Amino acid sequence: MIATDLLTNYFPIVVFLVIATGLSMLMVGVSFLAAKQKPDTEKISAYECGFEAFADARMKFDVRFYLVSILFIIFDLEVAFLFPWAITLGKIGLYGFWSMMVFLGVLTVGFIYEWRKGALDWE
Amino acid sequence: MIKSFITPELMPAFPEISLAIAAMLILLFGISRKEEDYNSVSNLSMLALAAVFMTLCKFCTETATTFNGMFIADAFGAFMKALVVTGSFVSIMLAAKYVERQRIMRFEYPILILFATLGMMLMISANDLIALYMGLEMQSLPLYVLAAMQRDTVRSTEAGLKYFVLGALSSGMLLYGASLIYGYTGATGFDAISTALAGHPAGLGIIVGMVLLLSGLAFKISAVPFHMWTPDVYEGAPTSVTAFFAIAPKLAALALLTRTFMGPFGHLADQWRQVVVVISVASMVLGSVAAIGQNNIKRLLAYSSIGNMGYALVGLAAASPAGVQAIMIYAAIYMVMTIGAFAVVLMMKQKDRMVEQISDLSGLGDRQPLLALAMTIMMFSMAGIPPLAGFFGKLFIFQAAIGSGLYTLAVLGVLASVIGAYYYLRIIKVMYFETAGDDVIDKASDGRLNLLLGISSALIVLFIVFPGPLLTSAADAAQSLFK
Amino acid sequence: MLEQAQHMQIGMQHFLLVSGMLFTLGVFGIFLNRRNVIIILMSIELILLSVNLNLVTFSAHLHDLTGQVFSMFILTVAAAEAAIGLAILVVFFRNRDSIAVEDISALKG
Repeated sequence: MIATDLLTNYFPIVVFLVIATGLSMLMVGVSFLAAKQKPDTEKISAYECGFEAFADARMKFDVRFYLVSILFIIFDLEVAFLFPWAITLGKIGLYGFWSMMVFLGVLTVGFIYEWRKGALDWE
Repeated sequence: MIKSFITPELMPAFPEISLAIAAMLILLFGISRKEEDYNSVSNLSMLALAAVFMTLCKFCTETATTFNGMFIADAFGAFMKALVVTGSFVSIMLAAKYVERQRIMRFEYPILILFATLGMMLMISANDLIALYMGLEMQSLPLYVLAAMQRDTVRSTEAGLKYFVLGALSSGMLLYGASLIYGYTGATGFDAISTALAGHPAGLGIIVGMVLLLSGLAFKISAVPFHMWTPDVYEGAPTSVTAFFAIAPKLAALALLTRTFMGPFGHLADQWRQVVVVISVASMVLGSVAAIGQNNIKRLLAYSSIGNMGYALVGLAAASPAGVQAIMIYAAIYMVMTIGAFAVVLMMKQKDRMVEQISDLSGLGDRQPLLALAMTIMMFSMAGIPPLAGFFGKLFIFQAAIGSGLYTLAVLGVLASVIGAYYYLRIIKVMYFETAGDDVIDKASDGRLNLLLGISSALIVLFIVFPGPLLTSAADAAQSLFK
Repeated sequence: MLEQAQHMQIGMQHFLLVSGMLFTLGVFGIFLNRRNVIIILMSIELILLSVNLNLVTFSAHLHDLTGQVFSMFILTVAAAEAAIGLAILVVFFRNRDSIAVEDISALKG
């Protein structure tokens, strides 16, 4: 019984899936059929703002991206605490409010540290 | 779950809160200086730890819980925190000259020690699985960074990487255990778990959860079979960091282990005792046997600390007030011996490199008689030769084991300590009876190291004369776990 | 046959089974993997996620929010842990020019 209910609930999603797949296939298919196909090496080469490609796309890239992403992971996920806090703020009162302020204060100390340390400078 | 949102009492956590604020202020101070200012930051950190130490004794006598029962301040906690804070203080002191020579004078170093200390204090005071985990991670994360502090050498970064991977694995095991315990008791608070487990035999889920929790914590105190990271990390990390690893985190993890298994799982002592006995015997034996073949002093001290944790676990297996008291006394004496041994290691250098091989110690007895004497005292004490403090530490442990009827364990412990005595005595033999090589060990003169070495030698030798303060405070503190 | 399938429900034990399998995969991923340290980091994340699944399952089963709060904490700590692990891995790579597991071998004995 419950299993059928569950499936019924998901029915709209199936409809969306069917429409989305159908529409995208239709659009790709029509352009494939209607357009003239005359490939040559220039046309199928990688397009890079009109330049010749400088290097292989799979090269090693700057380690600074890595640093930025590491810093991002930390600040991004710590913010996950803000959502449950915002929803329950009415119930947890002033104590809850100030707890979050303290938490954000600690995060700010970390932020000041990484800023002064130059982790956010690109050059 | 949290039922009311009354502002919690902050006083029981006063030492932790002040340490957290102090550490952050010192961080801001450090980053606001134009040039790297290691010395001021290090002095301020020591000042902060000293101040925190002063506030600890507010809870020497009474027990208080706060933050909805997640945090407990009691005499046991105050005792262990006093040890940990002292250990961290001494570790910053030990590091002074060493970081200068090794060119790792970054002001983050003492601050990371402060944050790790904060984590350890939270571990010791944890009264809830969530608080336990947060404290443990708060302690571990700075330690990973500290191990990799010398970031331009393969050895240090490899030590950091190894410590990180195995530390994270142990946290994972501990957490899986914690999740099972939560699932089968319906609670994360230690008091609630204790109530849920009282009175009826534990199910399989609880037992599995408990064993996983024990394994995770055994990793942190590096007990066999979860010890494999210890020698590598101790060898690879900068020596002053190794000293810190050996002194403070071990004690905090031991305290956490004791509180967890005496408190919420106290009813299941019969179930976990077998596991603790096996781990303890394996640690004592491996600590003694594997150390024999080592040539590197840091590796040797790593095996020595594995063995020492084995002895401390004997006290846990006893699962009695006497056992807890013995653990606390052992922890205090272990800390003093370790400080002394590392102070000696940090004091010696040959030209521009640090002494790390045992053979480098040859002839020390002729050239540096006082240093050799101090090392001899530490080694004799670790070997458990009678008039010194190390002997009494072991004595109380084995007495507690016998008191709980664990005769075999006590006998095995004594045997292991006899085997262990061999390698401690070998160091003494090298110092006094082997002739020196061409390289002359010159003492890296540092007043603070001399002071520390003097104090720890005096404590070890004079323990037999004034054992009273340590024994009584440990006895009182142990009682606070059994109310 | 159809009726039977409809009666079968996804219960707590199924979630626990999946989580147990993830945990085992994670542990084996750490010990059997000989190639790449990044895979070890991924295994660690897998272990932590299996714990989260466990906690959320128990939380739903017990009608108690603590488990979900716990898993929030694990989630954020795991992020901090991953950041530190990756940072240590970068400094290791700079010294060793490799992140193969068998190259972590300077310390032995």
